Amino acid sequence: MVTLWTNTDRLFFKINPSFKFLISVSLFVVYLVVHNLNSMIWATVLFIVLFLLVNGFSGRFSFWIVLLTLIVSMFSAGAMILFGQGTHVLFHWYLIEITEEGLARGILIGLRTFIFSIIGMIMASTTLPVPFFYSLMQQLKVPVRYAYGCLAAFRMLPMMSEEFVHVRQAMVVRGMTRKKGVRALYDRTKRYALTMLAQSIRRAQRTAVAMEAKRFSMTETRTYYYEIGWSRYDLYFLALILCTVAFGFLLSNWMPLTPFTNVIDN
Amino acid sequence: MKKSKNSKLNLTDILVTIVVALVFGLVFRVLEPVYNVLQPLGLHLDALLYGIWFIAGPFAALLIRKPGVALLAEVAASMAEVLFGGSGGIINFYYGIVQGLFSEAIFAAWRYQKFTITVSVLSGVAAALGSFIIDLFYGYLADLAGWNLTLSIIFRLIGGALLGGAFSDVLVKALEKMGVTNLVRPVTKDDYDVLKK
Repeated sequence: MVTLWTNTDRLFFKINPSFKFLISVSLFVVYLVVHNLNSMIWATVLFIVLFLLVNGFSGRFSFWIVLLTLIVSMFSAGAMILFGQGTHVLFHWYLIEITEEGLARGILIGLRTFIFSIIGMIMASTTLPVPFFYSLMQQLKVPVRYAYGCLAAFRMLPMMSEEFVHVRQAMVVRGMTRKKGVRALYDRTKRYALTMLAQSIRRAQRTAVAMEAKRFSMTETRTYYYEIGWSRYDLYFLALILCTVAFGFLLSNWMPLTPFTNVIDN
Repeated sequence: MKKSKNSKLNLTDILVTIVVALVFGLVFRVLEPVYNVLQPLGLHLDALLYGIWFIAGPFAALLIRKPGVALLAEVAASMAEVLFGGSGGIINFYYGIVQGLFSEAIFAAWRYQKFTITVSVLSGVAAALGSFIIDLFYGYLADLAGWNLTLSIIFRLIGGALLGGAFSDVLVKALEKMGVTNLVRPVTKDDYDVLKK
């Protein structure tokens, strides 16, 4: 596996992975019901700070990743910014009609996507796959065969990407990449998918038979090589997240930056 | 023999489903830049490509033909996206669950007896409908200009039917010719009839 993690000794690596996952998932619900642009802006600022403080990447890498994600998130709001309904028209050109309300809504959606990406990345950049799946089995009682299935599948990823490169090289040698048009694109996609799928399914089936022979799917009276438990770091984490969320809402009350407190009805 | 008739998922089914989901997950990640470039045009051309996000569910169901496989495949594919840090982050997980449930429901409606191209196209369309439920809350769809919203819905349903449903049927048919599907499907009555001859 590619190691992106520079330092796995930081605070967020020590949190119980299931707990981290559940908190991240529930933060989604919190920001789904926020319709106040000010709260969203402040939450964005605070989560960027949090990400830069706790993530497991190197400093420069995490800066670029924040910037790129912000740009991509704003793309996702394109339709709402260009064609959103509203009464205060800012700009009009053929079908494009940018309104104040549409713009505010678009920015809110963009920032929301961005916050979810950042939360996802805080999770992804500080969680190692093995403890994550062990924790799922031990804390969330995910059936053993699902968790070990996932782990085995993750170990096959490098092989898959290697195969992907091989297929591409084979196509280049045979001149298939030079063909243009929709038909060629369809043929190429089908070829990629079929070769990769056939190889992967055969390999997965072989591995699963071997794993069952070694009683990987046994459920009763089983022991684990890694015991994932709870620690005081989980409390620190909870406090940190609660503070971030609470401060986001408080700051938007103290220092509202825009007049859009509810983007749905105005 | 008795065990393979069982419709409960065993380790082989689970591992194959997850691996299939990961293969599509790789495709998702490769396609994501294309998708992101199409988005800011605002004309929802990206929605045509959206269908490829639904393919894992119908494909896995056609391949393994057991209850629960479509849901597992969609959730696994979305989990992979979260763990690889794909754009959208944690929201992909919710999309995965809803789309998986919707495309599973179509196969369940035929009681897991019928695995034709019609059912798989319907399953792709169902996943597209499911994705709109989240979008309704998430993207304030109702506040878009009318023609724009219609365009988005039509494109996404076409994408779901063609890329999610029909394409997965094409792929599975091809895999049948290659003999790969025999490895993973439960034994059917036809197989026993062959033995009797």
